[in-house]
Amino acid sequence: MKKLITYLLIGITAISCSGDFTDLAPISSRNEAQFYNTANDFVAAINASYAGLQDNGVYGRAYWTMFEMRSDNTDQGPDATGLAAQYAEINRFTEDPLNQQITSAWISSYKVIANCNVILQRIESVEIDESLKRRIVGEALFLRSLMYYHLAVAYGNIPLVLEPFIPGDELVQVDATTVYDQLITDLETSEENLPISYPASDIGRATKGASATLLSKVLLTKGQNAIAEVVLRRIIDNYGYGMVENYKDIWGVSNENNLESIFEVQFQGGGIGQGSAFTNEFSPSSFLQTGFGFGRNRPTQALINSFDSEDERFGASIGTSYINEQGEETLADFVRKYESDPSTENDSDINFIVFRYADVLLMLAEAIGESNESYQLINDVRERAGLPEIGSSTPGTFNEKILEERQLELAFENHRWADLKRFNSEKEVFEVAEPLVNPAVVRELFFIPQREMDINPNFVQNTN
Amino acid sequence: MKNFNLMFKNKAFWNSKSFIFVLLVLSAIPFSFAASVSNNIEKDIKIDYIIPEQRQISGTVTDTDGVPLPGATVRVKGTNIGAITNFDGNFDLTIPEDEDILVVSFIGFVTKEIALNDETVINIVLRADAAALDEIVVIGYGTLSKKRVTGSVSSISPEQIVDMPVASVENAIIGQVAGVQVQQVSGEPGSSPNIKIRGSGSISAGGDPLFVVDGIPISKNLTSVDIQGDLARRGGSFQAPPVNPLATINPNDIVSIEILKDASSTAIYGSRGGNGVVLITTKNGTPSEEGVFNFNSFYSSQKVANKLDLMNSEELIAYTRDARNNPYVQDVPGASADDPIGPGERGNGNYEIPESFLNWDGTDTDWQDLIFRTGSMQSYNLSYASPMQNNTSYYVSGGYFTQEGIVPDSQFDRYTLMLNLDSQLSDKLNLDLRIAPSITENQREPASAPYFARPPGIVYSALVHSPTVKPYNEDGSINQTNNQSHLGAGTTTASNPLAIIPAIDDNLFQFQTRTSLGLSYDITPDLTFKTFGGSYINIYNRDFYRANSLLYRNSTEGESYAQASSSTQNSWLWENTINWTKEQDDHFVDAIVGYSMQKDNVSVKQVQADNFPDDLVTTLSGGQVFAGSSLKEQWSLLSAFFRVNYSYQDKYLFTGTIRSDKSSRFGANNQTGYFPSFSAGWRVNEEDFLSSVDAVSELKLKFSWGQTGNFEIPNYGAIGLLSPLNYNFNGSQVNGLLQSTIRNPELTWEKATQTNFGVELGLFNNRLFLLADYYRTVNSDLLLFVGIPSVSGFETTLQNIGKVENKGFEVALRTRNIVGDFTWETNLNFSANKNEVLALNANNEPIFSRGSAGIRHITRVGDPIGSYFGYVVDGIYQSQEDIANSPEDTEAPDPAPGDFKFLDVNGDGKITPDDRTVTGSYFPDFTWGITNTFTYKNIDFSFLIQGVEGNEILNLTSRHLKNGEANFNSYAVFNERWRSPSEPGNGNIPRADRESGSHGNNNRPSSFQVEDGSFIRLRNVTIGYSLDTQDTFLGETFDRFRVYLTAINLATLTDYLGYNPEVSNNTTSSLTPGEDYGTYPLTTSLTLGFNLNF
Repeated sequence: MKKLITYLLIGITAISCSGDFTDLAPISSRNEAQFYNTANDFVAAINASYAGLQDNGVYGRAYWTMFEMRSDNTDQGPDATGLAAQYAEINRFTEDPLNQQITSAWISSYKVIANCNVILQRIESVEIDESLKRRIVGEALFLRSLMYYHLAVAYGNIPLVLEPFIPGDELVQVDATTVYDQLITDLETSEENLPISYPASDIGRATKGASATLLSKVLLTKGQNAIAEVVLRRIIDNYGYGMVENYKDIWGVSNENNLESIFEVQFQGGGIGQGSAFTNEFSPSSFLQTGFGFGRNRPTQALINSFDSEDERFGASIGTSYINEQGEETLADFVRKYESDPSTENDSDINFIVFRYADVLLMLAEAIGESNESYQLINDVRERAGLPEIGSSTPGTFNEKILEERQLELAFENHRWADLKRFNSEKEVFEVAEPLVNPAVVRELFFIPQREMDINPNFVQNTN
Repeated sequence: MKNFNLMFKNKAFWNSKSFIFVLLVLSAIPFSFAASVSNNIEKDIKIDYIIPEQRQISGTVTDTDGVPLPGATVRVKGTNIGAITNFDGNFDLTIPEDEDILVVSFIGFVTKEIALNDETVINIVLRADAAALDEIVVIGYGTLSKKRVTGSVSSISPEQIVDMPVASVENAIIGQVAGVQVQQVSGEPGSSPNIKIRGSGSISAGGDPLFVVDGIPISKNLTSVDIQGDLARRGGSFQAPPVNPLATINPNDIVSIEILKDASSTAIYGSRGGNGVVLITTKNGTPSEEGVFNFNSFYSSQKVANKLDLMNSEELIAYTRDARNNPYVQDVPGASADDPIGPGERGNGNYEIPESFLNWDGTDTDWQDLIFRTGSMQSYNLSYASPMQNNTSYYVSGGYFTQEGIVPDSQFDRYTLMLNLDSQLSDKLNLDLRIAPSITENQREPASAPYFARPPGIVYSALVHSPTVKPYNEDGSINQTNNQSHLGAGTTTASNPLAIIPAIDDNLFQFQTRTSLGLSYDITPDLTFKTFGGSYINIYNRDFYRANSLLYRNSTEGESYAQASSSTQNSWLWENTINWTKEQDDHFVDAIVGYSMQKDNVSVKQVQADNFPDDLVTTLSGGQVFAGSSLKEQWSLLSAFFRVNYSYQDKYLFTGTIRSDKSSRFGANNQTGYFPSFSAGWRVNEEDFLSSVDAVSELKLKFSWGQTGNFEIPNYGAIGLLSPLNYNFNGSQVNGLLQSTIRNPELTWEKATQTNFGVELGLFNNRLFLLADYYRTVNSDLLLFVGIPSVSGFETTLQNIGKVENKGFEVALRTRNIVGDFTWETNLNFSANKNEVLALNANNEPIFSRGSAGIRHITRVGDPIGSYFGYVVDGIYQSQEDIANSPEDTEAPDPAPGDFKFLDVNGDGKITPDDRTVTGSYFPDFTWGITNTFTYKNIDFSFLIQGVEGNEILNLTSRHLKNGEANFNSYAVFNERWRSPSEPGNGNIPRADRESGSHGNNNRPSSFQVEDGSFIRLRNVTIGYSLDTQDTFLGETFDRFRVYLTAINLATLTDYLGYNPEVSNNTTSSLTPGEDYGTYPLTTSLTLGFNLNF
């Protein structure tokens, strides 16, 4: 008897000690401990950073609420409950630090940044093809900088983390200028590393032009216009971009990644989680495309009024009515730049153009300052829109003219809020533009999300 | 069958306690078997030694009233030789000549030793022991006489669940067990109730107890892998609550349920015992000479238990007018409420009302009436318990259950089979084979979701829909386009609920089998080796189709979508145990040592299609397949355990347990854990100084301490995983991979340390019996998704951190108030539990949790887990002076009289996000239940009242039905809104304001959406009539016939505005409990059933 028990106990112990039975590796997921070794690993990793741009916290949604609806270009319209309340608050500067859009923008932007940080750290010690390594480093630096630029514009005081962050480490906020300084260094490296263009299967990856465009934006924001001018001229001279002949041909699924396009977030419908929602979000009616039309990001009357009647950009950018099912014309102002017909709601192929050549031309004009050359650059843009030339004798200051041209040329492309800040005109424009916004409540910075405030007790909340 | 007749013919039977004893016999069948088996061995086994001379004896065992005791054990002392009395209490026994002492035992009676002398016919009278105390209780890996139990175990006897017209067994015990809160959160057929044993200690890991059905552990925690096929495309991720794995068990097959509550009882289950353990045992063959057929059946009619009090058309129109006039007058200089209010007349839709409101045509639709029907349940069950023949007995049963839900097209069907076979293969070897396959089919309707989910929630759509809208067009078709969902001016945009019902096909098929084979070998009469292999296989198939015919809200085209999901769960278990039981003189020892291996494999596949050209074909082949996936996961557990029960003179009791568990789920550095427990008991009534006190029939003091764990975390939670995040370059797809979790090699189980003090007191021959326990549990090393700075790229990481305490007491009191022809028995239970977070991470930073609608929950030190979080409403501004004199509300852009005044919690003179605080909790202060049972001759009558006090519900339907914006229909309480200083309403409801976000911001998360969920419910009323076969036309062929009428959920008293004050949408996360965001309402049912033994 005792023997039997002894044997059994020995048996139990033996089984308990054998590690195999309880050592189970994941079957349907990859294990990070065995990843980041090969060239393919890093390509897949950097691809995921691009995919992060589609997120609802980035270009998918939060960015157009924070960089376009925040501005005088668009508003939320009458529907202001539920999710729409979140938008309306941002439009009217009444959001609190709990607002889901500002929270998800922070989280999702840093998700892209963190992935780039891992790539940049892990790729150093790995032996893979040197040119590929350079390219991936360039892409990672560009994507990280793109996120940091938006975070700096939106929140101002943010943690600038350039290596994988280990929970428990101290986290400090730095001001936007410190961020911009880092971006200038990173983007210079990135521009150096990246190719001018890609073969067809890689179109959509960051290029020299993309890095240089972001670099010049950062330089302009910092007031380093002279350096910006050098960079912008490099883009124009060396990187092979040009203007699409008709403004309306910049838009639409069939015109994606065109001559003028410098960087686009690539979306693709078909139920694979890569579709964009812009068509449904911005359309006022389900008669215009498959699925709901939410009528969001609505052009303000002031913006509509700013367009000259001859301006060809108006019709391509803004719709003012549609024909409903009964064949009746129904009045509604809406954004047209992202029209498409998704096969299902919120799942469209339509890309989001982050940077395009017209922006570069206008930035160069801005960098040079008032001069014949800068008017010529502005007039190049106006000419395509079918508008007469302007010059020093045209009423208004040079800054006012260039800001207005940027507003009309680049409407609904998420540039307006940064432009207003760069030209220090964010408060006054609301006097006329948006009756629902009290200029007294206009704030330069978004709140740091309450979630981050709660987790990082040393963070200081933005008050202005 | 004659035996039965005889007994039932005996009129004394119904007037005596025998009736109860018969039931006790049923619950004791498995144990009596062991004895009967040992009897038969003698007859059938040829043994290779000289058989001593033998003699025949026979006799009858009766109680002190002379009533025969069927099922009593008569044994020759010190041997395995024995017999079980038949239904006349008779036994025959062949015994060796030299043996002369018989031990006669029967549950509930004092065991007696009889010296035989030379008698061959003996009549034995057993004296009733402290009634139920000698019941055998199933404990983990064994059984124990109830008097020797020192842990806290609640036994559910069959009579508590028999004839209960419910689909799943948990529903039968609602309100009946102290310390066990069963919450029926949904009325959907096949839905799963929440079960909490002594509160909830876990924050992120699963909170359900471990269910062990005939030795096979079954987890209800379906958290880690989506095995029921959640819809990949469902907006707002409002997945239907999972169907209940336990609903696959036919309640008629259950012979006993034991709920192990304290750590000393559950420690034998180690890392899975932390939430308590529920042991379910199914029936076996009968010890009587003849088999027993049982047929029972019931039919229920069900209707919705309550309707919500919503506005009618006139009220809604008046309310909408108010909600439009108020902002108009406030914001537009010179505006007057008398200005034209029609579409386009005020320049802003939010100031206007739709045409159909302006010129109301008298339509006043009650949408709730339209979406609910009278539902039904039917159950048919036939079983046969065989007698012991050729050393083998078996129980077979077949059952069919069907329920038609009160929401049209929702249905649940269950087909069950069971075979439990017990065979004595030799004098030492016993075989126990169990096979229980079942098929369940759930036809689901999207009833439990908000109106904006995809597909939209039927119930919610009905609630928010405007009563001014006609449900049908003139041609009889469902009104979907005739402006039903776009009345204009920001009013109701919901789909017609009647269009949702036929458009959704959602069928969940589940095939489940439990199979097990146990072989036990008696090495000596005291020492048994047992090997037990079991498997639990669960196959799910879900086919979902959303037809083109449904127009989502104001869409004009359908969105067809189909998804086919299938998954297989295959869990196997192998256990080996050695059990040593010895009773000698004053000592009783029962020890078990064993080890166990378990492995669980899950595989999940799904395919999606859309673009169906029509609704003729609803499977994937009717449309275009666009996505698919498959997934496999595993976990394993390797355990060793040891337990000893010791009692001295049945007066001093001791139990000690230890288990070690090694689980694949935990980090490499921390895979093995040890779970010790001990408990002690003192039966004071056995002491000399009390034995003379007749009034005290039982007094037991108990103490226990133990540690258990909780291993319900994701299968690969300790590993840093990469997830696909693909991208495309100019339309060509590329693979992307992103790390989605952080590795944590230190990750381990949660520890629960529990101390329990208990007392059992029986007075006046147990006419009054009291069980009381006080406990304190501290859960530490909680598995917690800790919020980390998102700079890391992650929002949370899974860590062992923090402490939660549950302490409370529970009382169960049974009194037999009147005995005799007329009996009255009362069962009362009362439980109070206090849940408190003691510690979180290093800085004790609170955890804010995002539920279905933003951050509305907080878990912080000093409050219960997942408390509601928001602003506190502190009244209503009555005037401009009131606003001026109140703290400035930084979250209210432009408050006006009639808006909410919020509380300045931190007293800094301003209302800011820092003034958000705890506004309530889903944890009740106490729960109770009281059952009164009356019998008079053949009639029995009982009713159960249950109560829950002090819990709050986060009524998220308030976001639409109580938002003051009149963009939807509303709870009728808004008729008592603030209108003016002279018409302030009931003082709790603010003014109507379509643009509250720009004014008082009344709809921010606040105490206004948190409602008292306390209730008192008349849960069950039953009247039954049992026929004595002698008296009836049913004649001799039937042994028992009972017919009963049961009403369930007859009435509920509550202040809660929604359907069900127990509702909780998000049952899988303990951080966000208590949400009501659209639900399938409960039903009131009336059941007629009968039960027939022959």
